Amino acid sequence: MFRPGMKGNTVNTSPTASAAMTSATAALLESLACASTDPQDRAHASTDRSGYVSPSVPDGVVFAESIDDVAQTMRRASELGVQVVPRGAGSGLAGGAAAHAGQVVLDVSRMNRILHIDPVEQIAVVEPGVVNAAVNAAVAEHGLFYAPDPASTAICSIGGNIATNAGGMWCAKYGVTRESILALRVVLPDGRILDTGRGTIKGVTGYDLNALMIGSEGTLGIVVEAKLRLRPRPVHTATLVAYFPDVAAAAQAASAIIAARVQPSVLELMDGQTLAAVDAAQGSDHAVRGGAFLLAQTDGYGAYLEQEVLVEAIRPYASSMEQAADAEHAGALMAARRAAIPSVEELGRVSICDVGVPRNRLAEAFAGLDAIAAKTGVRIFTVAHAADGNLHPMIVVEPHESITEGPAKEALGEMFHLAKGLGGTLTGEHGVGLLKRDWLQAELGDTSLELQHAIRDVFNPRGLLNPGKAI
Amino acid sequence: MTTTHSTTKIVDALQAALPGRVDTDPALLDAFTTDRSGHRSPGAPLAVVNACTIEDVQAACRLASEFRVPVVSRGAGTGLAGGAIAGPGEIVLSLTGMDRILEVSPANRLAVVEPGILNGDLNRVLAGHGLWWAPDPASKDISTVGGNIAMNAGGLLCAKYGVTREAVLALKVVLADGRLITVGHRTVKGVTGFDVCALMIGSEGTLGIIVEATLKLQPLVSGGVATVGAFFDSVEDAAAAASAITAEGLVPSIMELMDGRTITAMERFAGDAVFGGAGAFLLVQCDGPAAQATASRAAALATAIGGRVETTTDPEESDRLVGLRRNAFPALEAMGTMLVEDMAVPRDRMADAFAAIRRIEQKYDVAIPSTCHAGDGNLHPSFVYTGDTVPENIWAAAGEMFRTALDFGGTLSGEHGIGLLKRAWLRDELGDDQYELQRGIKELFDPLGILNPGKVFVPED
Ligand SMILES: Cc1cc2nc3c(=O)[nH]c(=O)nc-3n(C[C@H](O)[C@H](O)[C@H](O)COP(=O)(O)OP(=O)(O)OC[C@H]3O[C@@H](n4cnc5c(N)ncnc54)[C@H](O)[C@@H]3O)c2cc1C
Ligand SMILES: Cc1cc2nc3c(=O)[nH]c(=O)nc-3n(C[C@H](O)[C@H](O)[C@H](O)COP(=O)(O)OP(=O)(O)OC[C@H]3O[C@@H](n4cnc5c(N)ncnc54)[C@H](O)[C@@H]3O)c2cc1C
Repeated sequence: MFRPGMKGNTVNTSPTASAAMTSATAALLESLACASTDPQDRAHASTDRSGYVSPSVPDGVVFAESIDDVAQTMRRASELGVQVVPRGAGSGLAGGAAAHAGQVVLDVSRMNRILHIDPVEQIAVVEPGVVNAAVNAAVAEHGLFYAPDPASTAICSIGGNIATNAGGMWCAKYGVTRESILALRVVLPDGRILDTGRGTIKGVTGYDLNALMIGSEGTLGIVVEAKLRLRPRPVHTATLVAYFPDVAAAAQAASAIIAARVQPSVLELMDGQTLAAVDAAQGSDHAVRGGAFLLAQTDGYGAYLEQEVLVEAIRPYASSMEQAADAEHAGALMAARRAAIPSVEELGRVSICDVGVPRNRLAEAFAGLDAIAAKTGVRIFTVAHAADGNLHPMIVVEPHESITEGPAKEALGEMFHLAKGLGGTLTGEHGVGLLKRDWLQAELGDTSLELQHAIRDVFNPRGLLNPGKAI
Repeated sequence: MTTTHSTTKIVDALQAALPGRVDTDPALLDAFTTDRSGHRSPGAPLAVVNACTIEDVQAACRLASEFRVPVVSRGAGTGLAGGAIAGPGEIVLSLTGMDRILEVSPANRLAVVEPGILNGDLNRVLAGHGLWWAPDPASKDISTVGGNIAMNAGGLLCAKYGVTREAVLALKVVLADGRLITVGHRTVKGVTGFDVCALMIGSEGTLGIIVEATLKLQPLVSGGVATVGAFFDSVEDAAAAASAITAEGLVPSIMELMDGRTITAMERFAGDAVFGGAGAFLLVQCDGPAAQATASRAAALATAIGGRVETTTDPEESDRLVGLRRNAFPALEAMGTMLVEDMAVPRDRMADAFAAIRRIEQKYDVAIPSTCHAGDGNLHPSFVYTGDTVPENIWAAAGEMFRTALDFGGTLSGEHGIGLLKRAWLRDELGDDQYELQRGIKELFDPLGILNPGKVFVPED
């Protein structure tokens, strides 16, 4: 199993090994058998996949192996007043798991067991560190699947997915993470254990704290166990790829599909620049076939009937269309989309943005992104979960340039204003983390933001858990 | 709740601020002392404010805060948990006058509506656009969208199409002090900050007043429906058939189960042996392109467990079979006052839950006709009695029912909410820590405790 950044052993070196460490963090790390102060572990835990460069490294990393480890860490940390940053697989794109000096990282990636699969109830109970793809591989044997599948499925953890309310390709039809989590076990900042949600499909006793935990980016508690809702695998899946003269035509086609009242399970759009990047990295030839690409999947018994409706909706805009002949062909098309981010990452330093817009305004969003690239001088490559109006414009700068300051930051700010102007949102699925806090108030307004702080204070009154993130 | 100000003062202030919107006629006020739970408050509320605009709601909340007078939001009053009941010293904020559809956007598959519109009325308009809003309580023609959201209502179709929470994108909410906030997003996805929209859904009028909702719509399902009616000798067999259908990975749009006592009541109500004296009835409806294939598979599974099965794709015959289920509540209500329970259990414990219901019937000497949304394990064991107060043995039986649900790894309430009816058991289900966190949230939204006090949480003093 892929376990990013995991080392075979962690050394429990003496706290004096690190000069900058405070006495409180030293006391915490010394008291925990599963703690590491290895420089490499600490450097690794100082950032995630957002491109954010932390000014310093955390004082240590706790590699929890059980709920008890987590509870003990939090109890001790709150006694000692130590700030704790939860960490899953570190694939986050908002700097949510990034940590700095004076902080301790609580890494749950070793808690990666699948505890129970119940094919009759269509439920799985898992530890938080299990990798998303590992869950899907295990439940596939029972003819089931776990629907929220971020493009990072092979490198992200279920706990991180829950903390960010991750989306993915299938969520147009099957919903985001929130719709697939029945219950959670959470360790609160003071070490107490809280169970939210329930074992049944429906339930309305009291406020929905389960939903509140989902997407809280590690600021309300640490997810240590999750009960996942699984779904029967669709009997048929029909995959189609269409090429367009330009991205505007592709965006119009995507909007036409929504208006045509079919429900694709996957609807992914890539612009011309991204196609060229994928071709360069993968040796494929998408860019010669068009200036934009739309990948559409329909599933269930009606997959092929729905595909016919979809084809009619796209026809006026597309320059060519191709139906996947078999599962292998479909897999290759999906792989092209999954390769988009890594391929662009080969071109320089990348910041992956995450705006959401109403679904009939996709074309305007793409036009706006072109204008932002022209204005700020950064390169922008864009993929989109088109069925939910969620765009991932990737800002690319040269390897020596900053991705969090200067033109890159200016472009990010412009994107937010673009999304807001179109009736959209700052972040569709990656979260606010560290990198989007500057614009949060503009989106939520003062009163909402005040309430959000008050909610955090109910769970995390001393602000020791993931301070400065999300809100 | 005690108030230091004289109660006439708030009524005067409301009348001055909202001329023509405030009713104090005792004959009118009586209607607000009950909902459909069988409960009645000890007396009439002070006044009802018939809000027509968001500003009306804000003005009412500002005054209620100033005078520290409780506000009970009310949609259509069809709640089964006593949530919309108002009593002496309280103001009712009625939202049924705010019933406009502000926008339907087929291109975004969303609608923006005021809270007082009836679910059924909305869906009739949406059908003209080829769309629908999926929450489908059996009460859809008589309950409001705002009430559905405040309760996170479920229904017959939600095993396949989700409950209300999954069908709401954004809300406008007036806070206790009259400030207006927007929560959620007009986009399908969005993760800025905590999910306060989800927190509002199902909050039963205790955190804020929902004054506008942006709803996520679905395309009308094409391909017709296929319906299976299966008659069994025993409810255990019917429950086993339902579990088998779920285990097979089939996803019917409707899967409803009724026990023998319900069938008897319905045959008496209809004056006709429509069920041929069966001991249990399982209704399965499938929609979409796979309708027929799914239905015939479900029929085969039911037959294998001893069901006598009718399958049809004829719309009229389908309606007749579904109508059998929709008539269950009216048939039981015809026998007296109804107390409807609402426990949910994991789907493979349904047969156990029915066995427990029979044991409780014997122990407390009551009849408990029960229906069940079998696709999601949500049971409605019902008690029927005469008069206004719930008899002692029925309370005791209800209490044991709640504990049984928890023992099965289930929940007190699948869809009807806590209100007054189940507040005494809330702490048992949530545990002390979560209960305190929930109270903490209540307090930060409503520091004066004026929003629907005494509902959901037992008053502390
Ligand atoms: C190539 C690539 C593609 C991606 N595609 C998508 C996509 O399609 N959709 C999408 O939504 N995201 C995508 N992402 C972003 C990322 O994978 C997700 O945000 C993912 O959910 C993060 O999981 P993680 O385990 O890596 O969490 P981390 O990065 O370790 O942490 C993310 C946040 O969650 C918190 N956290 C982690 N674990 C826990 C826990 N157990 N309890 C409490 N808090 C916790 C952290 O404190 C942090 O705030 C992509 C990333 C990459 C690199
Ligand atoms: C025959 C029958 C069948 C039923 N079937 C189902 C079913 O299948 N599934 C199901 O879930 N329920 C069912 N119910 C219960 C009931 O219809 C639902 O709970 C419904 O959602 C209540 O809507 P309402 O407009 O009547 O709300 P009300 O009863 O007026 O209010 C219910 C609660 O919501 C609050 N509230 C109402 N409007 C607002 C608002 N705008 N802002 C804030 N708070 C508000 C009230 O304070 C109260 O706490 C049934 C009821 C009956 C009588």
